Amino acid sequence: MAISLRNLSVNYSLQQGTAHALRGVSLDIEKGQMHGLVGESGSGKSTVAFALMGLLANNANVTSGTATIEGKSFDLTKRNATADLRGRGMAMIFQDPMLSLNPVFTIGTQLCEVLRRRTPGSDRKTQGAMAEDALAKVRLSNPGRRMNQYPHELSGGMRQRVVIAMALLSEPALLIADEPTTALDVTVEAQIMREIIGLRDRIGCAVLLITHSLGLVTEYCDAISVLYAGEKLESGTVRQVQRQPGHPYTRMLFDCEVPIDRERHADASQNRFTVIAGDLPDPRRRPPGCIFNARCDVSFEDCAVVSPGDYPVRNDDSHSARCLRLATP
Amino acid sequence: MTRSQRTAAFIASRLASVMLTIAGATLLLFLMVRLVPGDFTSVMLGPRATPVLRAQITHDMGLDRSMVEQLWLFASRAATGNFGEDVVSHRPILDIVLDVVPNTLALAFSALALAMVVGIPIGVIAALKPGSWLDSGLALLSISFITTPTLVVSVILFLIFAIGLHWLPVAGAGNPGDIADRLQHLVLPSVALALGWVGYISRLVRAALLDTLAELHVRTLRAYGVSEYRIVGLYALKLALVPVVSILGIGLGDLIGSSVVVEIIFARPGIGSLIFNSIAQRNYPVVQACIVFIVAFYIVANLVVDMINAGLDPRIAAGRG
Repeated sequence: MAISLRNLSVNYSLQQGTAHALRGVSLDIEKGQMHGLVGESGSGKSTVAFALMGLLANNANVTSGTATIEGKSFDLTKRNATADLRGRGMAMIFQDPMLSLNPVFTIGTQLCEVLRRRTPGSDRKTQGAMAEDALAKVRLSNPGRRMNQYPHELSGGMRQRVVIAMALLSEPALLIADEPTTALDVTVEAQIMREIIGLRDRIGCAVLLITHSLGLVTEYCDAISVLYAGEKLESGTVRQVQRQPGHPYTRMLFDCEVPIDRERHADASQNRFTVIAGDLPDPRRRPPGCIFNARCDVSFEDCAVVSPGDYPVRNDDSHSARCLRLATP
Repeated sequence: MTRSQRTAAFIASRLASVMLTIAGATLLLFLMVRLVPGDFTSVMLGPRATPVLRAQITHDMGLDRSMVEQLWLFASRAATGNFGEDVVSHRPILDIVLDVVPNTLALAFSALALAMVVGIPIGVIAALKPGSWLDSGLALLSISFITTPTLVVSVILFLIFAIGLHWLPVAGAGNPGDIADRLQHLVLPSVALALGWVGYISRLVRAALLDTLAELHVRTLRAYGVSEYRIVGLYALKLALVPVVSILGIGLGDLIGSSVVVEIIFARPGIGSLIFNSIAQRNYPVVQACIVFIVAFYIVANLVVDMINAGLDPRIAAGRG
């Protein structure tokens, strides 16, 4: 097991009280695999990423959690526990490439900054050559010219390639991609995903893909974890979960995806989309029992009282869900 | 267009607007001086001047001509650097102004340099740990620097270091040609002038840095393990300096204004003391020439500020700032 995360819980102190952002989240990511972490906005996906990186906001408080990366354990409740891994064992690709590069330094300078840490002692010329090589590897056109250009001279997709080149240069064991294509055109999405996969195959790292798009997960990921209101409701291989979702929430999420070839009504307002009624529970007042109870279409009496454990789906070790219906009586 | 062509076009467009601004400011200035009550001759010659002398001076100064003609003469001569002859000393006014300009420039630039060398590091240190006791202490120091008037600072420095301790010279600008002596004479006036700016710059740098540190590209650097010192002192600072430099450009007028006070207290020849003495003598042509110089200085300084900012932030040069 290349990467494992155990029992991660994060609270945010807000003026109105304490919000529980994550509760007991565990993940396992195999080396060379891509693990999709899906959920609605506010489900805590990005909090998982930033807790791993140790880049949470100041008002965040990690109450429990251990990460094991390449055989070494890190106690995430300690501030900056993984500081040593940043830019070496872990790298990250961000949601908004338009804002994730410094506007007043050239692409080359920013790439070489990564190398300063990764290959200390190497001279500027070597670093420049390595950086240019990385730009060529992520298939950015004219890498030599790009080195001296500033971020505003590049498109969003090109900037995201630059960030991917940064990740490539840092040769991480774990790459976290936080909604890497959300801010980009659909036409660029496939290219960017291809570069991320290319990077994974080149350095054999584990990838945690954070997204709200089940389409991306089913197309590119090996395994999937579904996050809802800070709890992991289901995890398994993409094939298992797609074929037989163990949790009603996962099933409903798949139902919400709109097939592109679906027949439409003549009057567009007559089109019916599947939605999950209701809202996420208030993170400051978590309900007892199952966290999804209020929006579930198959809940029964116990769901409001009993907090479900993580049960295997179809007696499969690698596929589990937190739903009382799976509990063997 | 290539980057160098864009930069050239940027500078050319700025230069054109500078010329227009100087012309506009000169016109405004000419009209404002004419608004001052009383006529020049009676203030300058006193109540008992003979009508013949009065007429003579009025004619010499061109005051018997129409306003439009006067404006044309002033503007056309000023454009070629001819500000006429001083009625009191019979020297060309341009020479009088140019004699003292280097003193004022030396004072202003040494004060500005001093303020930046001290103020920027204070701002960076304060921004490294916002809310810490060090940050609060530096805030207190900066704000007390800002709120103490230059006049008070000058007098205190003067009394302690020149009169009391005899460490530094009391008055003047030093012997022409003796660099060491001139530098010694420069120390107290530039410290007096710089002190408020140290406070200003450190507060500006701190605020701009904290804004910049909240931007997402800083998170990228942190995610790749770049040290906090490099992030704050290099990557965020370069971006944070853009608004700081802009505000400094606007504040340069205030710097010249404060230099009037400093030059008078330390009895330094300079544009400030020249204006002061000329107003006391009601020598309006000299005042007028001094102010044209200050306007030109202010505008050229702001052009330099724009070019510095274009150098700091490539988006400004590209016209996207």
